[in-house]
Amino acid sequence: MILHTVNILSSLVLLSVLFAFGSSRIPALIKVIAFQGIVVSIVPFFIGHDMETGGMIFTVATLVIRGILIPLSIHIAIKKVAIQRDVFPVIGYHASIFCGLVLIVAATVISRQLNIPSLSDSRLLFPTAISLLVTGMFLLMARRNAIAMVIGYIMLENGIYLMGTTFSLRALHIVEFGILLDVLAGVMIMAVILQNIKQTFDDVDTTLLRTLKE
Amino acid sequence: MVEIVFLTPFITGLLAFVLPRTMGRQLLVVTGVVHLILSLLLWKNRPDAIFAGYFAVTPEGLLSLLVISLLFFLISIYTITYLKLNNLKAENVFTGFMLLFLSTMTMVTLSDHIMVLWIAIEATTLASAPLIYTHRSGASLEATWKYVLICSVGIAMALLGSLFLTLAMDLAKVDVPMSFSALTPVAELLDPVWLKAGFVFILVGYGTKMGLAPMHTWLPDAHSEAPSPASALLSGVLLNCAYLGIFKTNKIMVAAGLGDFSGTILMTFGLISILAAATFILKQNEYKRMLAYSSIENMGIIAFGTGIGGIGVYGAVICMIHHSLIKSSLFLSSGNILLGYGHRLITDTGNLAGRMPKTFVAFFAGFAAISGFPPFGIFIGELFIIVGAFKAGHYAAAGIFIASLCVIFAGFANQVMKICFNDAPGTTPFAEKAGLVWPQYILLLTSLILCFFIPDALYQTIVDAVNAIGGGLQ
Repeated sequence: MILHTVNILSSLVLLSVLFAFGSSRIPALIKVIAFQGIVVSIVPFFIGHDMETGGMIFTVATLVIRGILIPLSIHIAIKKVAIQRDVFPVIGYHASIFCGLVLIVAATVISRQLNIPSLSDSRLLFPTAISLLVTGMFLLMARRNAIAMVIGYIMLENGIYLMGTTFSLRALHIVEFGILLDVLAGVMIMAVILQNIKQTFDDVDTTLLRTLKE
Repeated sequence: MVEIVFLTPFITGLLAFVLPRTMGRQLLVVTGVVHLILSLLLWKNRPDAIFAGYFAVTPEGLLSLLVISLLFFLISIYTITYLKLNNLKAENVFTGFMLLFLSTMTMVTLSDHIMVLWIAIEATTLASAPLIYTHRSGASLEATWKYVLICSVGIAMALLGSLFLTLAMDLAKVDVPMSFSALTPVAELLDPVWLKAGFVFILVGYGTKMGLAPMHTWLPDAHSEAPSPASALLSGVLLNCAYLGIFKTNKIMVAAGLGDFSGTILMTFGLISILAAATFILKQNEYKRMLAYSSIENMGIIAFGTGIGGIGVYGAVICMIHHSLIKSSLFLSSGNILLGYGHRLITDTGNLAGRMPKTFVAFFAGFAAISGFPPFGIFIGELFIIVGAFKAGHYAAAGIFIASLCVIFAGFANQVMKICFNDAPGTTPFAEKAGLVWPQYILLLTSLILCFFIPDALYQTIVDAVNAIGGGLQ
């Protein structure tokens, strides 16, 4: 039963990945990262390791930071910005969704080949982590909207975290918490920069940020 | 009591935000002095960390720590006069983040746990981003945006690489703490495939921060838009901190018998960086960007030397120390030029020799030193690297290396001559305060002295650091 839960959670994340590829609106993308943040942080509950109090507290802290604080800080930062604008795709939405499908298939094939022993019970977890990671990269490269790029970065971090839950069992909670704080502070700083970009350039299109060259 | 070295600037940094506006200037210098004393005590006593396993005193860390400490002290003296002449709107924020930046960089040099090192390096990005945005202009905003985004994504790759290292431990059933000092002795047992993957990701990740091409694109923007004292810190010591991460991982690779693999990759990235710098420095029209490209070149030289191994590693470490001393002096001098002429473009400057003679001496000597002229240390470092490359039989690589250095020298010299001797719009000399030139003189003098006389303790530490990755003077 436990195995099923992890696989169900993974497939939910995979669906949200496809949704992110096709999404043209920033508010929708923020909801996606909030959803992914929550799902990714509750995976350790179901993965079958023994949970002591420290691990429990840490998992809840992750849930609060990844699922609530990070999406909220982006949401607040752009509240007054023209968020009805679309994400300025460099690659069109249909092509993006197709890329997403190819990516998921490729991730599944690759993780079969890698043959990592600790993954034998939850097959979908590793492909999901790879897909999240690459989706983050994709959004960073194929969208010109600065907010979409920050969201791409958050997705990338979620993917790395999910990959970490699959095998880094020895990492201590205090260390993981440090990583989490760094990510949170990074997103907060990006949110401040977003606000300033909006105020200075009156838009969040990164083509405006092309004065510094060579 | 290792931790106190980075906790001190952290606390004073937080203090600077709440203290009255101009008190931060004195606080910078006081912290600089205290930090220097603490670092020297650390050199002398080499104590154990309270949180052993997370932090440790290592030879390569000590070298970087001393460079950071000395540089910060001298830069803080410069900053006092600099802040008096520049009316910064949010001076508290500037001094506060300078101190936090010092704290995070110190933490990098003392980290032993792989993940703690990652946390510290990411923290340096976060602490230095507000420094780049000090001038509150559109261009500085763009530079900050690129810096935070590119470096965060790059460093995320290093986190992935660090995870692969844990996987390499899991697969080989190696049960030791995840620290560099614990992993290096058992490196041979680790799973080689994932170790290699981890190294590549860590190199790309920390290489982004170090300014290796083709991940260097943020560097010229950030270094040119930051105020000069911050540029000097960014270029002089932050790049070394990222290099330290690569150096320590390379140590594991060499211990695991994969030194050839890591060496080839390091050499490739090094050569690409030097070539990229040579391409862009030729047509540079801003002097601070020119200095930034020179930093990319020097990081390439250091990576190349580390990749060669043997005497090349010794040369790389020498280059690292002297690059920090010389490049920070050059960035401080460029701050004087900006103060005097008020323009970033080379064409708007000229006749530096006549109008700012004291700065001219520091700037020109710095130029000679960074180009690898004797009697400055870069000359010795580059010589060792070239000898190492020939000894190891990398003739083609050594050829590209030397040719690129020549091109960079030509481009650099061309621009420096324009700044120093071209006709200027006016002839009236600018007032040069002592606090704005003496730090550079001391930095250059230190480089000069270290070339002829290296104290035994320092020499021994360099040799210890270099031996660990199979380098040495033989």
